[in-house]
Amino acid sequence: MFTDEKWSSSKNWFIAAVFWIIIGMSMGLLTATKQIWPELLNNRWTTYGHVRSAHVMLVIYAWLSMAYVGSMFYMIPKLAKTKVYSEKLGNFALVFYNIVILEGFFALLFGQTEVIEYGEFPLWVDVQLLVAIGLVAYNLFKTVGQRTEKMLYVSLWYFLGSLLWLPLTWIVGNFPAQWIPSGVQQGLMGWFLGHNAIGLWMTTVGVGQIYYLLPKLTGRPLYSHQLSMIGFWAIATFYVWNGPHHLMNGPIPGWISKAGVIPSIVLLIPVWAVLANFWGTMKGSWAQTRTSVPLRFTMAGTIFYLFACLQGPLQALPSVSSVIKFTHWTVGHAHMGPFGAFSFTSFAAIYYILPKIVGREMFSKRAMEAHFWFSTVGFLVFAFSLWIAGVVQGFAWIEGVPFLQTVLMMEPYVQGRAIGGTMMYVAQFFLAWNMYKTIKLAKLEKKQQAQQQAATA
Amino acid sequence: MERKPSAVLIVALILWTFGVAGTVILPLFDQEINSATASGELRNYPEDSAEARGREVYIQNGCQTCHTQFVRALPADTNQNLGPVSQGGDYKYDLPHLLGSNRTGPDLMWVGLKYNEDWQRQHLIDPQSTSPGSIMPSFDYLSNQELDDLVAYLMSLKPTEERLEEYKKEINLEKPLDNN
Repeated sequence: MFTDEKWSSSKNWFIAAVFWIIIGMSMGLLTATKQIWPELLNNRWTTYGHVRSAHVMLVIYAWLSMAYVGSMFYMIPKLAKTKVYSEKLGNFALVFYNIVILEGFFALLFGQTEVIEYGEFPLWVDVQLLVAIGLVAYNLFKTVGQRTEKMLYVSLWYFLGSLLWLPLTWIVGNFPAQWIPSGVQQGLMGWFLGHNAIGLWMTTVGVGQIYYLLPKLTGRPLYSHQLSMIGFWAIATFYVWNGPHHLMNGPIPGWISKAGVIPSIVLLIPVWAVLANFWGTMKGSWAQTRTSVPLRFTMAGTIFYLFACLQGPLQALPSVSSVIKFTHWTVGHAHMGPFGAFSFTSFAAIYYILPKIVGREMFSKRAMEAHFWFSTVGFLVFAFSLWIAGVVQGFAWIEGVPFLQTVLMMEPYVQGRAIGGTMMYVAQFFLAWNMYKTIKLAKLEKKQQAQQQAATA
Repeated sequence: MERKPSAVLIVALILWTFGVAGTVILPLFDQEINSATASGELRNYPEDSAEARGREVYIQNGCQTCHTQFVRALPADTNQNLGPVSQGGDYKYDLPHLLGSNRTGPDLMWVGLKYNEDWQRQHLIDPQSTSPGSIMPSFDYLSNQELDDLVAYLMSLKPTEERLEEYKKEINLEKPLDNN
């Protein structure tokens, strides 16, 4: 029933991912629009709260995670110089994973939520998702197990770590509320997931992707093996401790706050190590970003990664947090890593890997260009609207401007965000269309080739 | 280690465990967050009370996506007149927690002090009628029962009298709390 075809898992996970980016981002755009017209599609199912939750959960666990798994089903066997342990299992896991996501999506629309941010699916969905992730991890661990290349390239370290950390972190964050002794305790557990879904899954798989793509796309060896080791272990050591900064200045004891804030600032070390390595590798290759869209997506991703990681530690300072926490700023920041950095590297991965799998170039270079520029410009409009809004809002609260008035002040920025968001959304149709065309043409060409061969034989 | 995936995994697991121990396990032993304050006791709703059902309505409709219940000892919160600074023990029975992360709408930690039942009900049905320019969607699709329960829950979000007096003394505030 499930195909055993070489690279079919990677390809199918990518196709599903791109389907979900369209659905997930429509939810996002609807959320943004509802902040302008609150009555738009307002009913028991698609009320603001449901749509926002669905957006967050779908873009992370449907789009980005599926694109990551798609990348890993190609990159891991390549790095291990072997084939995927079981393409059949990979395809089965994909179908199962998609059913679970669909269940979670509908659960949220029906008002079933666990409240935990980045872990909003109800428990009965969480358990199934854990099994699906487990199937993927098992398949990929087995693939590494049958490697013929003895050296473990740094991307493999990141992928192995991430595949171990995600399920464990998922369990901590989604622990049933009735077994937890207090609300703040659950807050800490929830933010452990909230931050580490980013730190030990999105960041680490994304960085692994970049480590794979850069040498391939530029044709140059990695700048420093040493730096990549430092970066990996520093991320693994310090990221885990970041959760508590989400409750900063709040109802947690001072020591927990410090245990969260200090590692957040120390994170500058791995970020520096990782980026120095990326940009060291790029030395002399920057001109190629003009012609190679995948390389340009990757580099834009690293730049957004830098800015996200400069913002992060800064925001973890209690003084900065006291102005921008709870404002629109946070929303802008929360999009920079998942969209600006790691969706970009995933786009690059798709554009690099898909042609290798189907045996033909991407159908349209122009569509790739449009995808890049709409995504980038859209994101900048979106993010700067929110950042400016956040600072204005934060200081207005401090000055004691009545709350309702601060909402009215935000109107132009909220509109700016929706405009930027529309561009980000439109961009993804270029990706989807281009992918569809490429796969369809590749099939056609293969058929023609086979016919020709049959005719000449 | 550069040749042994199992070694990478083991060290990765150990480092992860340290983080869990520090930020998840250790807090379990902290009295400050795990024993209820008097105001926290007020949120220990009897099963199937109007407040408990109302809390469910609050969660099911995603109120927590726009409203925090989280007052900090900071100018942003004191100048907004949000009420007493929240303490760990206020959330002892707040499960799943409703701390929130975004204030698209105002904080609701002590919203029960600020308005009466009629205002709350009217505001839920037609937010713009009580708060012109508000971007809160209407919850007129809720049944009467759900609205009653939700209002009961919102009205229950209050500190004890003593806590309130203490707070007023602290910030030297004699006027009643009103956050427009």
